[in-house]
Amino acid sequence: MRELTVLYDEGCAMCVRCRDWLALQRSFLPMRFVACGSAEARTRYSGIPWVGEELVVASDEGDVWAGPAAFLVCLWALEDWREWSYTLSGSAFSPLAERFFQALSSRRRALAAFLVPDPCASGTCSAPASHAPKMAFR
Amino acid sequence: MSDSSYLVPVYVAYAVVTVSLTVWLARTLFKNGAVFLEDVFKDAPKMAEAVNRLLVIGFYLLNLGYAALLMKAERGDSVLQAVEVLAWKLGALLMSLGVMHFVNLYVFYRIRRRARVAILPPPVAPQMRAPSYVGPAVAHA
Repeated sequence: MRELTVLYDEGCAMCVRCRDWLALQRSFLPMRFVACGSAEARTRYSGIPWVGEELVVASDEGDVWAGPAAFLVCLWALEDWREWSYTLSGSAFSPLAERFFQALSSRRRALAAFLVPDPCASGTCSAPASHAPKMAFR
Repeated sequence: MSDSSYLVPVYVAYAVVTVSLTVWLARTLFKNGAVFLEDVFKDAPKMAEAVNRLLVIGFYLLNLGYAALLMKAERGDSVLQAVEVLAWKLGALLMSLGVMHFVNLYVFYRIRRRARVAILPPPVAPQMRAPSYVGPAVAHA
């Protein structure tokens, strides 16, 4: 596996913020972020039934994760969070983690509206996209 | 006899114990740390050796420097007092060496764990297999 593609909901300010956070973390492998309403998502990733509904992560080898598993794979890709992804997917925490991510994901629009009032009034969200170049730790 | 007549023997004993203890500890650290580091830098044994040497040099500098700072004693009027002063100083030194040692072990452990975590597969199985999605960011041979 050499690259991960993260298909996120660009209509939810919280998701956009999470994307920015992910992009700033040190990761073990490059992550590409594709808005699930974009042309690329509708063409190249049209075969994935969950796009738009759930968080979807696709690897360059064709493995696809959706929902809570996709959250865990995002954590797994990060240098500082890989161990957490294993902890959260273990037998002790996985039911809790699954419910948490499910709840977060299904209420994301409401949560985003609650946390950042009215950022998406015109359909596209204006969450502060970070234009700072990503630091390259090597 | 003057006030601090026993201070010189205290200092000499302190210096001898300190230096020999530090040398012994550093050698132990060097020998056993090599095992850890060889595991981490499997493909670069020279790197493992270099890191090991640098760590040991840091250990020497810190320990000897700290021991030197700790050396000055206030009083040494009697044999009893001299022994007490020596014991107190050696105790303080040993305690700090112990802390240093565990910090060192923790550093080795972190280095090794980082290398092991980097090769782990995803914790959850994929929900779907699809034709490979190769992003434009990856140049394929």
